[in-house]
Amino acid sequence: MLNVSPNTLRAWERRFGYPKPQRSAGRHRLYTHGEVSALRDALQQGLSISSAVSRAREALSADTHTLVGALAAFECDRADAAMESALALRSVERSVEEVLLPSLDELAARQGTDSAPWAFAARWADGWLRRAQRLAPPPVRPLAILVGDATRNELDPDSLGIRAFELFIVRAGARAMTLPVAGVSGLGEVVESLSPDAVVIAGSHLADDDVARWAYSVRSASGALAVALFRRVQHDRQIRTTGARVLPDEPFAAHRQLLALVDERGGSEYEHATVLAMPALEEIERREVGW
Amino acid sequence: MRLRAVRTVEYDDRGLEVFSFCGHCGLPPKPAAQATKSRVCGHCGLGLVLRAASDVAPALDEPFLVVDATLSVCAVSARAEALLGIDETAAVNKHVADFLVPADANAPSAANLLALLVEVASGAGEARTAVVRPRQEFGVRYRARVGACGPPHAALLVLAS
Repeated sequence: MLNVSPNTLRAWERRFGYPKPQRSAGRHRLYTHGEVSALRDALQQGLSISSAVSRAREALSADTHTLVGALAAFECDRADAAMESALALRSVERSVEEVLLPSLDELAARQGTDSAPWAFAARWADGWLRRAQRLAPPPVRPLAILVGDATRNELDPDSLGIRAFELFIVRAGARAMTLPVAGVSGLGEVVESLSPDAVVIAGSHLADDDVARWAYSVRSASGALAVALFRRVQHDRQIRTTGARVLPDEPFAAHRQLLALVDERGGSEYEHATVLAMPALEEIERREVGW
Repeated sequence: MRLRAVRTVEYDDRGLEVFSFCGHCGLPPKPAAQATKSRVCGHCGLGLVLRAASDVAPALDEPFLVVDATLSVCAVSARAEALLGIDETAAVNKHVADFLVPADANAPSAANLLALLVEVASGAGEARTAVVRPRQEFGVRYRARVGACGPPHAALLVLAS
């Protein structure tokens, strides 16, 4: 399409940060058609690669502006159309990370997360992500992830990131189930049925005590499990304790890292994982059986 | 039979030879690039091939900038990046006056350089010379050749010490 060598594309990535490829499982660069075609059109009319890249970026960011505009005007149909047009140029993962989540971040910054416009936008985005998850192909990996949702509710700013994280896990062929950390009764039955290979505690609204109680219930039902934390604020104190892995805040990077870790270790415990401060959990562990 | 020493020579409407060069490294395009019709420079891969008449086209060691009719910087050659201490990726889409200002004591007004650039970038003016200096520096002056280049229409500002 561009009539340039792979070396040139790599040089552009280094110098201009564009096109920005995803990586396949074998670490090959995967370019989206939308980015490359936007660049091709810009190159035909450009005076330099820099100006062409700048124009191509502008063309792609139009989807974000459209989505922000639609949500700010409370127009669900237009918001759906904006995502459809984003999907025409990108994968589901990139559409979520480059269009949906940044648009919601912009609205949160503009309106505040306690406003009615944010509530409308967050509900729409939550619905869109759930719909996308229902349309995901059936699981193909013998892998199950249990996500403990420690957010306030669906209007919590972290909630959409967690929905996106769950969607990406499901689209990668694994099973994922999200349960609120606040509910502990009957948790054993769910855990026995799902047989999770890893547990992710996501969100920072609930206190460490609640999270530790939930995590202990899961552990009682399933035995030793890999534990990871997603979008959970770290404490100042660093205490060597549960060996929970801290995942990146970006849902795509987080799901890749989690799946790689579980695949790599065959679902076993993370013996040398990152240290995380969770004093309450440590206290419970001291009293009960260690993880 | 291929005649490597033979190349197509083009002339503009003033009868001046038209040269092709990379907007980043300044080198003429590789013959293979002409065959693939790619405008990306086959030498450095970081610039697009531009064309300009012989009275303004840069020599290999001459730094240059490309400016469009809105006076936005569109390209900065590698030598100009080093000379002016700017990065093309940061300079693109900024006003040319953020980097270069007129330094000719005899020029009637500063607006003349900008007017010349607009005129040339619109495809109307002929190649001229001007004296410029980096915006934040005094005592350093460059004689600049200003002429048309493209495609698309733009002004080429070639700096010579």
